[in-house]
Order: sequence, then C-alpha cells, then structure tokens
Amino acid sequence: MSLARRQADLVVALVTGGATPAGFDAARVTAAREQLMRKRAGEVAAAWPALSASFGTRWYAEFSAWASGRPPRGSLRDGWDFARSQSSLDALARAELAAREAGWRYDGTSPRRRSAVSRALVMIGARFSSS
Amino acid sequence: MREPHPAGPLRGMGIGWRPEIAGFLAGLPGLAFAEVIAESLPPHGPLPTGLAQLSERGVPIVPHGVKLSLGGAEPVEPHRVEQFAAVAALTGAPLASEHIAFVRAGGIEAGHLLPVPRTRDAVAAIAANCAVLQSTLDVPLALEPIATLVEWPDDELTEADFLREVLDRTGALLLLDVANVYANAVNRGEDPFELLDALPWERVAYCHIAGGAEIDGLYQDTHTHRVPPEVLDLVSSLAGRLPAVMLERDGHYPPAADLVTELDAIADAAGLARVTA
Repeated sequence: MSLARRQADLVVALVTGGATPAGFDAARVTAAREQLMRKRAGEVAAAWPALSASFGTRWYAEFSAWASGRPPRGSLRDGWDFARSQSSLDALARAELAAREAGWRYDGTSPRRRSAVSRALVMIGARFSSS
Repeated sequence: MREPHPAGPLRGMGIGWRPEIAGFLAGLPGLAFAEVIAESLPPHGPLPTGLAQLSERGVPIVPHGVKLSLGGAEPVEPHRVEQFAAVAALTGAPLASEHIAFVRAGGIEAGHLLPVPRTRDAVAAIAANCAVLQSTLDVPLALEPIATLVEWPDDELTEADFLREVLDRTGALLLLDVANVYANAVNRGEDPFELLDALPWERVAYCHIAGGAEIDGLYQDTHTHRVPPEVLDLVSSLAGRLPAVMLERDGHYPPAADLVTELDAIADAAGLARVTA
C-alpha cells in the first residue's frame, strides 16, 4: 500500500472514527483520537469563548458529540457550525454568534468578510429582529 | 561526554511567543529569542505589537510551522510554502522550523501533528517536501521529531537512524524537543536517556521544553501543564550541550510569577543564563 493511502487510512481512523488500520494498536488509536478531539475542543473554545462558556462543564461532552465523525475545518468554522446547530443559545453566546454573522458572510463553506455597507445592514436587521 | 557543537544561529534561553502572554514576554529583559507559530502571522505583516517590540529590541524571531505537513506523501502545498517564506522574511528570522510529521491526507485535515512511518519512502517524501520549502526559504531549516501516542506497525528504521537519514537527506538542523523524547520513551517503556544519547547532537539548533500530564494512562505532551520534574531532569543531564532552549506553552497560562519560576528552572537546568531579570 502506498504511503499516501496508509496516511489517509490513519487520518480517517483518528478523525472520523473509521476502522483502526491493520497493525495499529486499537487502544492507542482510540487514545490519539481522544487527544485530537480534546485539542480541537480547546481550540474552538478559544475562538468562541461565549459559546463554550455557555455550556459550562458540559462543553467537551456536547462539542465532541457533535464533532465526532466530522473532520475538523478549523476552529472558526467548527464553532460556527456548532453554534448554528444549537436550537437555543444563552444571551452572550447569541451575541457572539450575531457579531460573527454580521461581520462575515458564511455559507457553510468559507467565511468572507462583509463589506461595511453589508455589515451595517445586517446589524440594523438584527436589531429589529432580536428581542 | 561529547563536546557541544553548536549548530545554527541561536544561543540562550527563549520562549514560544503567544498573544495571550505578549505583555509578560515584552517585559522579559534577557530573552534570547522568540519562536512564533508561522501560520499565526499575516504573511505580509504587520507583526503583532508585542512581537514587533521584541524584534525592534533585537530579539531573533523564529517562525515555527505547524501546517506544512512536510511528512505527507502528498506534495506540500505551494501557497503554504510561500506564506511560510513570507513570514520568515517579515520577521527577519535567522532560522525557521517545522516538524517531521504530517497533518493532512486524503483531503482530510487531522488538526494535529501525526507521526510518519520510519520507512525509506517516508524519508523520500520528507526530502522532496523539504527541497521545495528550502528552495523558497533563505534561511536554515530545523526539523522537530514529534511526540506520538500511535506507532506505525512497519517501521524499518530506529528513531535515531530515521532521524539521521532525514537530516542527512535534507541538510536540515535538528529541533530537539526534550519533552517529546520523554513522552515517546515513557509510552514505549524505553529509557529516554538512551534515546537522547543516540541523537545527532552536532545538528541540534535549539530545544523545546514543554509540560504534559498523564491522561488515560499515557503521558501526553499537552503544552498546557507545567514541565514535569522528569523532563527537567533530562534537561539537567544535557546541561552544557544545549546551545539554545525554549519553553513551549500553548494555553492555561499560569500567573506570571509561576511562568518566571518555570523559565528560571529550565534555564538553570540547561546551564543557560536566566532571562527573567
């Protein structure tokens, strides 16, 4: 098997919970998968402090349950997708998400900074729709 | 005991620059160098204020890449190489560093440094990617072997032999992470002192020292815990042989007084001048 294929198989196992590749110690792969998830959750918490604080001690459990099986897309997008997936957020987490939505246009693929006019219009709309 | 053969331009005690502790770092009078995560800087500037202040004072800045994936079978991405070289130019770096690791494969980002198998085709992949990087970079490159919880099942070479082959093929210097050596040795049930003895000392440009903790029965190199006494003991055993060392800390920053204590302990263990006063 080529190096490329072997590396891809390992990444899939570690990041999406795919099968442990042949010859690897399954317990170590599990430990590494958890290590990667802890690191990822920490980075998302740093990028989205109000979001993570709103979960308190449940942050890791909630984020990792959502993120399991989803490859990392960077802490900005991971936090954004996770925040959007929540049916309700506390006031500070809502404000944090709203500020990001106002400043950036995010279609689920790549965030793009909004123009000044676009940002102003979004903020005006948000002021009238939030209560 | 081998005489020290300093390789590369760095001397003394440094630290990994992080925005969270920028104020603290700007106040360290004797800092010998500051390493910065290459991907955290805008490639064409400006430098963050605290880092710019250090640079203006003459403190060498060393860009440390984490996302080039030099150990990947997939060719290193040209835009990443360009940005890395741009950051090296922006910071006036005398040296730059990256890892013997891969971070992506099959279109999926791992989000972490993953080990390469210790095989000849892995050496070839690293050599090819380093050649691309070095053709764009104007300064020497140092490579850091990583700590890993997983081991490939089909290693052809010992850790020391693999490292020598990689460094011989690439001409790169060695960024020795003493905490990584400790972590790997402990988790494999091996003697970290033996592993250290086998390393190519004449290639060491500088060293990382970092903290970790036991998690799930394994020692994990977290960079968010204090440096354990066992790692400091390893550093002490190398006193006088380390041209330059730095503390690498990525989060859960302790109060400034604790950072001072930790920096001083590392400097003392390494036989280098303290940077805190």
